[in-house]
Formats: sequence, structure tokens, C-alpha cells
Amino acid sequence: MPTFVYMTRCDGCGHCVDICPSDIMHIDKTYRRAYNIEPNMCWECYSCVKACPQNAIDARGYADFAPLGHSVRTLREEAKGTISWRLKFRDGREKNFVSPIRTTAWGSIKAPSEYDAPRPEDFARQELAHEPDMLKTNKPLPALRPEQLKRGLA
Amino acid sequence: MLAINPFAALSASIPPAVMQAFVVVMIVLVAVGTLFDIVHKGSARYFFDNWRRARGKAPRLGAGKLASIAVQTAVVDVLGSGEFCNARRRVAHLLTMYGFVAHVIATVVLVFNPSASTLWPQLWWIGGLMVLAGGYWFWFFIRVDVAAEGNSPLRVTRADLFILSLLASVTLGLLWAWLQSWVLFGLYVLATAVLFGSVPWSKFAHMFFKPAAAFEKRISYANGTRSNLPAPVDKPEQFGRIPKHARHY
Amino acid sequence: MGLFGGRKTVLVDADILVIGAGMAGCGATYESRYWGRELKIVTVEKANIERSGAVAQGLYAINCYMGMQWNENQPEDHVRYARNDLMGLVREDLGYDIARHVDSTVHKFEEWGLPIMRDPKTGRYQREGKWQIMIHGESYKPIVAEAARKSADKVYNRIMVTHLLMDATKPNRVAGAVGFNVRTGDFHVFRAKAVIVSAGGASHIFKPRAVGEGMGRTWYAPWSSASAYALPIEVGAKMTQMENRIVLTRFKDGYGPVGAYFLHLKTYTQNGYGEEYESKWYDHTKQLVGNYVDRHPVPTCLRNHAFLQEVAAGRGPIRMVTKEAFQDPHKETVGWENFLGMTIGQAVVWASQNIDPKHINPELTTSEPYVMGSHATCSGAWASGPEDYAPAEYQWGYNRMMTVEGLFGAGDTIGGTAHKFSSGSFTEGRIAGKAAVKYVMEKGRATPQVSEKEYRDLERTIYQPLENFRIGRNEIVAGTVSPSYLLPIHGLQRLEKIMDEYVGGISTNYMTNGKLLERGLELLNMLKEDMDHMGAEDLHQLQRTWELHHRLLASLSVTHHTMFREETRWPGYYYRGDHLKLDDENWHCFTLSRYDRASGAFAMEKAPVYHIID
Repeated sequence: MPTFVYMTRCDGCGHCVDICPSDIMHIDKTYRRAYNIEPNMCWECYSCVKACPQNAIDARGYADFAPLGHSVRTLREEAKGTISWRLKFRDGREKNFVSPIRTTAWGSIKAPSEYDAPRPEDFARQELAHEPDMLKTNKPLPALRPEQLKRGLA
Repeated sequence: MLAINPFAALSASIPPAVMQAFVVVMIVLVAVGTLFDIVHKGSARYFFDNWRRARGKAPRLGAGKLASIAVQTAVVDVLGSGEFCNARRRVAHLLTMYGFVAHVIATVVLVFNPSASTLWPQLWWIGGLMVLAGGYWFWFFIRVDVAAEGNSPLRVTRADLFILSLLASVTLGLLWAWLQSWVLFGLYVLATAVLFGSVPWSKFAHMFFKPAAAFEKRISYANGTRSNLPAPVDKPEQFGRIPKHARHY
Repeated sequence: MGLFGGRKTVLVDADILVIGAGMAGCGATYESRYWGRELKIVTVEKANIERSGAVAQGLYAINCYMGMQWNENQPEDHVRYARNDLMGLVREDLGYDIARHVDSTVHKFEEWGLPIMRDPKTGRYQREGKWQIMIHGESYKPIVAEAARKSADKVYNRIMVTHLLMDATKPNRVAGAVGFNVRTGDFHVFRAKAVIVSAGGASHIFKPRAVGEGMGRTWYAPWSSASAYALPIEVGAKMTQMENRIVLTRFKDGYGPVGAYFLHLKTYTQNGYGEEYESKWYDHTKQLVGNYVDRHPVPTCLRNHAFLQEVAAGRGPIRMVTKEAFQDPHKETVGWENFLGMTIGQAVVWASQNIDPKHINPELTTSEPYVMGSHATCSGAWASGPEDYAPAEYQWGYNRMMTVEGLFGAGDTIGGTAHKFSSGSFTEGRIAGKAAVKYVMEKGRATPQVSEKEYRDLERTIYQPLENFRIGRNEIVAGTVSPSYLLPIHGLQRLEKIMDEYVGGISTNYMTNGKLLERGLELLNMLKEDMDHMGAEDLHQLQRTWELHHRLLASLSVTHHTMFREETRWPGYYYRGDHLKLDDENWHCFTLSRYDRASGAFAMEKAPVYHIID
């Protein structure tokens, strides 16, 4: 389902151009609005659909195998931490879904440099950052001994 | 200079009737150009077909509701350029839009009434300067093909026909009124003719399409069809937003 | 672009350069900062870190989580699982290393805000299967990207790295990378003491099943353009298991995932006549692979093999029986959200064809082959293992360092580490990050020397396709057909056709042999020569051109490896018609290759496999 942009909704803000992982959302030279320049490189990842502040982008299933008349639209509400989906089948049946997308505030991740710096002796050890605590096992980091590995067949 | 009608001095060389006829032709060009564009592209037919199809699937809204939506559209979307989600773009558009309206109305008044009060030349200048401020700001910095795509601000495509001819017309008009050169006047008339004559090929007519689209969008939210989008969830806004960077590259 | 279209050269110095900001790159960036507080860490991404990589649309499960805190699994169990699934051939030292750390990665994800489903009865993470837990991962990538952005000194978006740079004075030592800005066209030269390659594996090297718009609906992201392989291959890093391409059994056309269906919804497959078929092929498969068929769970490739045999016997289409499971509303929701959080395209296909799994058992298909390193497959660079237990033969320096000094890898880039998925790739990024910091503080303290001549030559090479188009365009009136240059899509379709017909794609039912591979190499080398004549109309097409370069180099490697391994180790992934059986006596080993860019030759060798004693 490559994406397409509704003429009456797009105001040429460029968010879709910024976000597209495939670099295929670009600006039309006649209307200065967005469109999908390379549908055969569109993964239908919906990044542009979700990023568009005007909900101006929609998708139509790949013409190779998707008949017309369906609709899969989404509303991602960042501030509420949710994403909602509204599916319409070709025959009119409808399905709706809502899922959480995040449990903490955007921007709230603690930067690694805000943690206490590792001690010099930690560099030689195998523990990565926040270990062994974040393994939550109350045990040391597991390890093998060299003699536990034997050369296999051939 | 700001209190003088720049067109008054012209009547010594150009009969006022000619100037007035030119203004009338420009207005007619806008109307004819827009109508031609609509008919040729079939955009009105698309719009009303779409409306009819959507209305068939949705509850009818009462006349009162429709009226209130029309008012909201007029006040928020049209007068307030409310559809812009980005503050910078909205301000630039408001500057350009109100500047253009003021400048055009003032031009008409000044051409048809050479002895109009000093308010009108001032409005002509202020409107013109607003167009230049909003327009050049948009041209060099805000245009999405420059801001998001990294194109040079000097790159010109067909989408630029409207803004370029608008900026040319107003820039040349103000320059002429300031420097009183015949060459500048000639170029100003030419640019203005291009601006109004190119309506079928430029984005000029968006000032008529956009309000219609804004109204249709509001209707679709009001009657529950919301263009097949899911409804917002009933949850508190507690997570903030990802900070949007001005430049992503 | 500058006001008058000029191109700038941007020189950036860094201690650690992370190339590719997907899951692995974000892990590398985060961990590099944790250990290298004063170091300059620069991350470069071809697209936008916010949604780049294979996790762009989200994930519905984390497929690599031990659950050590609840004694659910131990790392060596995961190694055995991966070893079994890959028919005996994985880097068990590297795999154990990821498995022992991955739980802390997942716990950090949850702390950062990734919603992980919980089992209402036990309070533990909701398991989808033995290794998999279920998440609401629509924003998995934005969350992880946030952590990376808070770690790097700078994240460069929209810069495609085309080549690594080598030290001008010390042999076999990496010095940085070059690339171009896809928006402005500026030339970027990065100089770094350590480079971590965490780019994408290879989609679009074999002809896909859909060839129109549907080309876009690849199983693995279409923007995974094999940079993970081409960048190290070009500078002579040894690669391993490049023949180990993966074929996936997924829902038809949309390639939607089946994991949650099999594991959580407990669905199963049937042939076109409603019959169970997998057990029918047991004896046949045993003829090919011996006792490997008795492993539990049945290796992925062997399940594919049964599927292919059944379809070839004329009893398709194969369907997933969902009607029973979907009667349960909870399972129905899981079935749909599984797609919406991970492969939206499958939901679109079903909506378009009126397929409701409650009433219809949907079709399955086997995909075209992909080459990557983080799934039920493990192609990639040959890397040094963990210092505390890796065998001497697997250790020549820092953990995850390739055979090129100072060049590290994580994610798809690293070979031999199957079944790591998103969490394991991020974890491997962390491992590489810490190792790169140590390297920079110890052995790699000196700033590498970069030759201006070398990068100016590369600059000419990089932008040449724009010139080819601009000048060559004068020869023809209009259109896409020119006798003197090729558009990137032309080259891509030719590459995909060659690989499909000669190296075991769908049109031969994944079959190849020595003769076909030889002919394939001839055609690939002709395409390689034609690469001097690519024509790129604009920067987007230039990106496509360099993606093709990377895909082609990876494909050459895949073809050489496929030729070298004279057995059929993974029936269901591909078959050597001239060596149709699994041959443990001669081929229970890794294949290694080293590319010489001066001559274009691939030098092949075998490397031993070490197993954890059971």
C-alpha cells in the first residue's frame, strides 16, 4: 500500500519529507505539496502518515495485489501516548483498534552521561552499562569458561 | 511619501480611465482564470461529487450547525489562517495575506479616487511592506522545497509562479512609487499583469479553494465521518511531545 | 544546497563514528557515551534516526529475551536454539555474549517507556514463545532514537556513507568514512579513531515476488541496502556465512509476520486440501540433512523445505488455520494489532481482499531470499569475540572488532549471531560501543591519518553519476533509455534478475549449482563494470545509485560464498543441485571471504566452529 497525499489537506509543511526512511516523500513542483515519488520503494511503514499534522497522507494497497475500496487510517496521539487504527474492508466491514505507544513522557529518558561515571576497573570487566543490576537477577553477569567451548566437526 | 497617492501624479500622462480599466481587467482575469481553472480541471465537479458521496454515508447536519461551522471556517481558517500547524508559517502567511488584501484594496481605491484620504496611501505602503516581509521570508526560508528538501532558494519551479509574480509586482510597485522611474512603472505593470493573468497556472486560486476545503474538513469531523480517520481517544494528554527540530538534516 | 548550488566539503573529527542509526547503531551510541564521557561520539544516518531502519513501523514482539530474572531461560539455552535453527553453524561465543546481556537491554527499554505486555496471572512479561515477549512497539524506534540523541555529540541525518576511509600510513587500519548529504549534496568526510558499522543488511538483491508497486513490500525494509556488508567488504574485512541467505514463510503478498500466530494464537498450517503436510516430508528431509530434522523446534529452513515440497507437489496454496483461534476476541485483537504494530501492509492486504481470519484461513507464501544478520540467519563480518571465554581462534583484539583494525560492527553487520533480532542488535551495539571506547582509550589513541588525495578521489567517484546523467542526457530527446548511462532502477532490476536466476531465487525454487553460479558471476561482473556508467538525475537518485553499489558488492560476496560451500546445509533457504545433501564431514565450518578491491578477487577459506559442550 503505497502512500498518497490529499490535495485539500496538505499544506506543504515538510514533516513527511523529513521522516520518510526511504526518502520518497518529496515536494511536487507544481503545487508545492507532498507526494510519493517512488511507490515501489514504499514499505507502507506509515511513518509519513503518522507524522503529518494535517492527517493529509493515506495509503492505498499495492496495485499488484490489493483491490480498491479499502481504507486503513491511523491517528497517533503522541501526547496521549496512544495510536488508533480504523480499518475499512472493501465490503464495508470496519475494525477499530487502540494501543499504547509509550508509558513515559517524551524527552524523559535519562542520558547515559547523567549516570555516575564507570570506575576504571569496570572497563576491563564484561559488564555493560547498568549491569549487573539491570539484569534483575541478583546474580553476577553469566559467563562461560574457555574450556566449555570445543571445536566442532570438521 | 507614504501619504501621497502614487497614482495621482500618473494621471498627467495616463488617463485615469485607462488605469481604472486596467484594474477592472485584472479583477476580471482573476474571476475568469479561476473559473476556467475549475472547469478545465474539473475540480469543482470532483469537490461536489466527493461531497455528495460523503453526505450519503453520514448523518445530515442541521442548518444551524452548518452555519456555525461556516462561521468557524471563516474566522479561524480564513481570517486566522488557522490550518497552519506551524507558528512561523502561520505568521508569514498572515502577513502576506493581509498585506495583499490591504494593498489590493488600497490600489483600487487610489486608482478610482485620486483624492482619497491619506489613510489609503498609507495602507497601500503598509500592505505592500507586509507582503514583502511575509513573502521574502517565505521565499528564502520557509518554502518547504528549500527548508525540508535542501534546494537552493534560487531554484524556481512552476509552484513559484504565484509568489514570485506577487513579490515582483509589489516590490516593483513600491520601488516605482519611491523612485518615480518609468522603467520601474512599466515593469510593475508587467509583473502585475503576469500575477493576475497566470491564475489558471499558478497557486493564486488557492485563496478560493482552501476555504472550501477547510469547510469540508470541518463538516467531515462534525458529522463523524472524519475522512475515515479514527476518533481521538478519551485519554489525558500527559506525555508531552517529541521536540520538533527546525532542521532534520 | 548553497544559494548558487555549490557543494561544500564538511570535515568532521570524532573519537567514535557510528554508521547507521538503527537498533544496533542506537545501542552503540548510547553505550559509547556511557563509557566514553569525554569522547566525541558522532552518529551518521542515511535517513532520519527517528524512524530509520527495520523497526520504522514498530514491532509487536521482542524476539530475544531470556527472562533470567524469572529463571525462564539461560544464555546457553539460546545459543543451542540458534545453533539448532542454523543447522549447527553459529558463532556460539558471540551468541552467548548477546544472550547474557540482552535482558538488561530490554529492562532499560521498559524503563525508557516501551510498553511491554504483562501476563495478568504471573505479572511477568507476556511471553509469545520461549524467546519472545509481546510489546506495544509502535514507537519502539522513536524511544530508542531518543536515547541515542541524548548520547551522541551529534547525530547527522540524511547523510549516506558510501565508503570507509583507511589510514594512509598504517596498513589495515580504519580512519573514518565519507559520504554525501542527501538534502544539500555536501560532501562529508568523517575522521575517527574507531568506526562502528551498524548499517542495514540486504533486501532487494533477489527479485521480489511483486515487481510493480508491490516491489516496495519487501519482508525486510527496502532501505536495508547492504551497506552493513559493502562498507567492510570494500576495505578487506573478512566476511562469514554470506551464503546463508534467509527465506521466510509469511502471509501472502503482505509478508505479514506469523510468529504471534503460531506461538500465541496457536494456529497451524494446512495444504490447499485442508491436510496437515509437514510430517509427510520427514523421510525426504532426513535424506537431505540426516539427524538435523529431529531437532526441536524444527529448524526454520526445514519447515520452509516441507512447504516448498508440498507446493511443488501441486497441493497449494498453503494456508494458516486461523478460523478457530480468531473466535476468541482477545486472540483476534492480537492477530490484527500484530500487523498494525509491525507490518501495516498485511492489514491493508486483508482489508483490500475482504479477508477476515475469523472466516477465511489466509494464504501463506515463501519470500524471495534476503541476506542479513539478525534473524534466523547470520551473514556478516567476521568479528573478534568476548575476551573472557572466546577461543583463541576467535579473538584477535577487541570484542566485535572485525579483521580491520579499529573497525567494529553490530547488528546485521556481524555474522554468526543469529536470532538476536531488535533487542539483540541493540545489545550488540552496546557491546561494540564499550569495546570501541576501550580501543580508543588504549590501542587506538592516535588520530588516524586520512589522505586528502584519497577522499578527493572518492568525492569524484561519489558524484560522478550526477555528471554522467547531466552530460549523457544531451544525447537523447527524453525518456529513460540511454545507450551510455543506466538509471539506478535499471541496475537494481538487472541485479535482482541475475541473483534470482543464477544464485537461487524464487524463479528456480531457490535452486542453484556451480555452473549457474559461474554464469551468475560473469553477469554480475559485467554489471559491476556498468556501474561506472550510472546516471543519477538528482540527489535522491544518487542515493539509489550508491545503495545499488552496496547491494552489488554484497551480492558478489553472496555468490562467491554460495559457490564455495559445496553442500546443501539449509534446504528451504537454498539448494546446491550439484551437492544436494548436508555434508558435516567437509562443511561443518564457517565460510570466510576476503575481498581485494584492487583485483576484485574474493579469497575464500574455512573457519572452525566451536560449540558449547552440551
